[in-house]
Amino acid sequence: MLRIDRRLIKNFDWVFLSVIVVISLAGIMTIYSATRPVVEEEHLLFYIKQSMWLILGLVALFLIVSFDYIWLSRFSLFLYTGGIVLLIAVFFLGRTGMGAQRWLSLGPLSFQPAEFFKLAYIIMLAQYLSMLKAPMDAVSLLRTFFFITLLPFLLLIKQPDLGTALIVLVIFIFLVLARGLHKKITILLIIIGIISLPFLGNIFWGGLKEYQKSRIVAFIEPDADPTGIGYHLSQSKITVGSGKFIGKGYMQGTQGPFRFLPEKHTDFIFAVFAEEWGFAGSALLLFLYLSLILRGLDTARLAKDDFGRLLALGITFMFLIYFCVNVGMTLGIMPVVGIPLPFMSYGGTALLSNLIAAGILINIRTRRFELFH
Amino acid sequence: MSRKRAIILHTALIFSFVMVFLRLTDLMIFSHERLSERAKQQHIKIEDIQVRRGVILDRRGRELALNLELDSLYCDPASLSLDNEDVRKLASAVEKEPKAILSKIPNDGRFAWIERKLEPSAAERVKGLDIKGLGFLTEAKRYYPRGELASHVVGFVGIDNQALEGIELQYDTYLKTTGGKVFLGRDASGRTFSSGVDIEAKGNNIVLTVDEVLQRIVEKELDRAMQEWRAAAATAIMMDPFTGEILALANKPAYDLNKAGRAGDSERRNRAITDCYEPGSTFKIVIGAGALEEKITRPNTLFDVSKGGINAGGKTIRDVHKYGVLTFQEVIQKSSNVGSIMVGMRLGKERIYKYAKLLGIGDKTGIDLPGEVSGWIFPTERWSGTSIGAIPIGQEVAVTPLQILRAYSVIANGGFLVRPHVVSRIVAPDGRVLVSSGENEGRRVISAKTAGAFRDILKTVVEDGGTGQNASINGNEVAGKTGTAQMINPVTKRYSREKYVSSFVGFVPADNPRFSIIVVVYEPKGQIYGGVVAAPVFRNIADQALSYMDVPREDTPQRNPLLVRR
Repeated sequence: MLRIDRRLIKNFDWVFLSVIVVISLAGIMTIYSATRPVVEEEHLLFYIKQSMWLILGLVALFLIVSFDYIWLSRFSLFLYTGGIVLLIAVFFLGRTGMGAQRWLSLGPLSFQPAEFFKLAYIIMLAQYLSMLKAPMDAVSLLRTFFFITLLPFLLLIKQPDLGTALIVLVIFIFLVLARGLHKKITILLIIIGIISLPFLGNIFWGGLKEYQKSRIVAFIEPDADPTGIGYHLSQSKITVGSGKFIGKGYMQGTQGPFRFLPEKHTDFIFAVFAEEWGFAGSALLLFLYLSLILRGLDTARLAKDDFGRLLALGITFMFLIYFCVNVGMTLGIMPVVGIPLPFMSYGGTALLSNLIAAGILINIRTRRFELFH
Repeated sequence: MSRKRAIILHTALIFSFVMVFLRLTDLMIFSHERLSERAKQQHIKIEDIQVRRGVILDRRGRELALNLELDSLYCDPASLSLDNEDVRKLASAVEKEPKAILSKIPNDGRFAWIERKLEPSAAERVKGLDIKGLGFLTEAKRYYPRGELASHVVGFVGIDNQALEGIELQYDTYLKTTGGKVFLGRDASGRTFSSGVDIEAKGNNIVLTVDEVLQRIVEKELDRAMQEWRAAAATAIMMDPFTGEILALANKPAYDLNKAGRAGDSERRNRAITDCYEPGSTFKIVIGAGALEEKITRPNTLFDVSKGGINAGGKTIRDVHKYGVLTFQEVIQKSSNVGSIMVGMRLGKERIYKYAKLLGIGDKTGIDLPGEVSGWIFPTERWSGTSIGAIPIGQEVAVTPLQILRAYSVIANGGFLVRPHVVSRIVAPDGRVLVSSGENEGRRVISAKTAGAFRDILKTVVEDGGTGQNASINGNEVAGKTGTAQMINPVTKRYSREKYVSSFVGFVPADNPRFSIIVVVYEPKGQIYGGVVAAPVFRNIADQALSYMDVPREDTPQRNPLLVRR
């Protein structure tokens, strides 16, 4: 099972790994700067913890690469079921943090099951879709939705973890479209979607918590209440805008350490980076993310089988959505949804699961020539 | 995945990245100015807290004004939530009414003072309440360790260290920290902290010419005189006649600088320089010095004052006692009004005016304290017919005590008009001397000979037969002059029969003066004469000051108490 031969090393996607490591290190640097004590002693532990998670994640990444990803398809149902169980367990054993019950404790460590679940979900979805005949008909579409997507979506909404819930839904749509639908069904779905949009919107709106509603209001009208809920948004824009072309310089940013910018080392880390490194640095970072996404799509193109292709696409979509929603939120072109920036934001579970996901992508690319094993 | 879908996907991908890129350009390049300005507004707070205002020291380095660092309580209205119980507890902790607390909390904003400069115990109580949204900022409270001492010189500052009186006001630009402002960084919860070097900026220290011990002596004696004569007010100034350095300056009533807000108008008035009075006989220095300088009289020139009165412009001015024929020296010694007017008439009004101006009458002395007035003496064309009978004896003129002291210092120092000052030097925090009052910048106004001659006359005032015998001191010769003047009733515009100003001005040791002193007692009860009311105050101050300053006592025979004339 564990095979590290020369071909594996030769075909290993060092480019992809380098991009990820560079972004992760930039993340740690920014976390260090964002949490540096200006007013009083703050937890400088943040960047140390994140560094340790990075090392742990890289070990996990190499471990993942060493197994053929085909094993993932064999264990997909097991992983998926395990993920669902953890999501349910959160309701009974979970720790509440910041208004949501998302955390599970494992000895001294606490982690968010949702972070791992979404990987299991993508594997399950890729596995299931790869077995279906393409293009898909209505029956297989509905089956995929009800058997695989609906339950975790509801569980995540209940937590509430709106961000991950939406990711689950969007990845479902993306992967189904990628797999291919009958043209008639596509058109039908679009029509149904348009007709029921106000209705669904109402249900969606009614199901939202107050803070979630106000975030959307704030997005539409950010200056209506700049000290209230629009605060995040206007502060984020102020932080980014302070950067100018070359930025204030590393460790020179003020908005994060002075606590004006909330969630400075987690959700809004891009703003802190932009303030310190300016337009030039931000553009470079965008380029790194773009190459990461393109590399993922390229991996999907090169994958030797449908499962690998759909899996690579699913993971790449996940990175893409996370990136777009996070940066979009930071720049004020999307509502505030608490979604971290992959590889940069502080958060051990997320970094670990992202590195595992990257490992899967590398795995797929590395083994693109291996037909038998 | 079909090729078509791949193209759609890549197009969407590129599109979204271009969107992000454009937005980034917008925020970071085009909106940069506006957004960074907002950032600056948020976390830079300009606060005039004057943490390190310069201290004020007496001439020997004793602290007269210093800073105590105290906690000031503020709130961040955005994150503050108080229930009625909290408000009540907070109010009792800072010893205020709950209503007063509530009125200080605005509805919006992120920073508002609740109570400034709390006593340490009150600050502890508030900290113990542990209410979210409250914070402390260290501020300096000006503290005057000597309380009432030299209050009219030192002056005081308000709650924001804004200069209000005295040296604090006059030299505010030196005392306050650079620019008077401190840049504070401020975080989102409104906590402020140093943004760098500015908060360390220190004001410059001021060293006064005033000596705390001499000041204490002067104030003690003034207090005693106030009590003894149940006077309305009293002023005394002690000056080095050669340099113009003010060694002590006191007015009574005075006030505690630490409770300056509660002081009344009368307490806060620096009468030594801001109040005019008719000097009376001390003004005879003008005709005396003028007549000697112009060689109109010599000390032994005779004047027949036996009539006891003199007609000036149809008005008769009388002496208190009847004398026969007096020498010029005796005219001054006994303070004969008739004799003085005779001298004045010989001198003529032009020259009276000239010498008054030369001796600094009617002009500000230029002392470095706020609020000085110039007083006045009319130019000769505005004199009435009776003026020639009034001005030589110190009526129809208005002077400040400091002006008279400066005029007598001209005699003491041999003919120079000095500029009185209370600041010796200003020292920067690094020890550099920024301003030094330097050497005597006096201007010669009369000859040394005239000064010497008039000084000898002033010595006789304190000797047997003079009006100021009560000012004499064992072991040192005193030169001086008494003054008694009626106050003008502000309602009737006539001389009051009850209210007098008694004064004595002089210097000691007469031939080598270490200091000159003026004592002015306003509205003494029971006695009115300067020789009775003010001269003893002069003596007591001078006697103690000479001891303090280690001035050698000459072995002069003690005056026989049995020979004292009534």
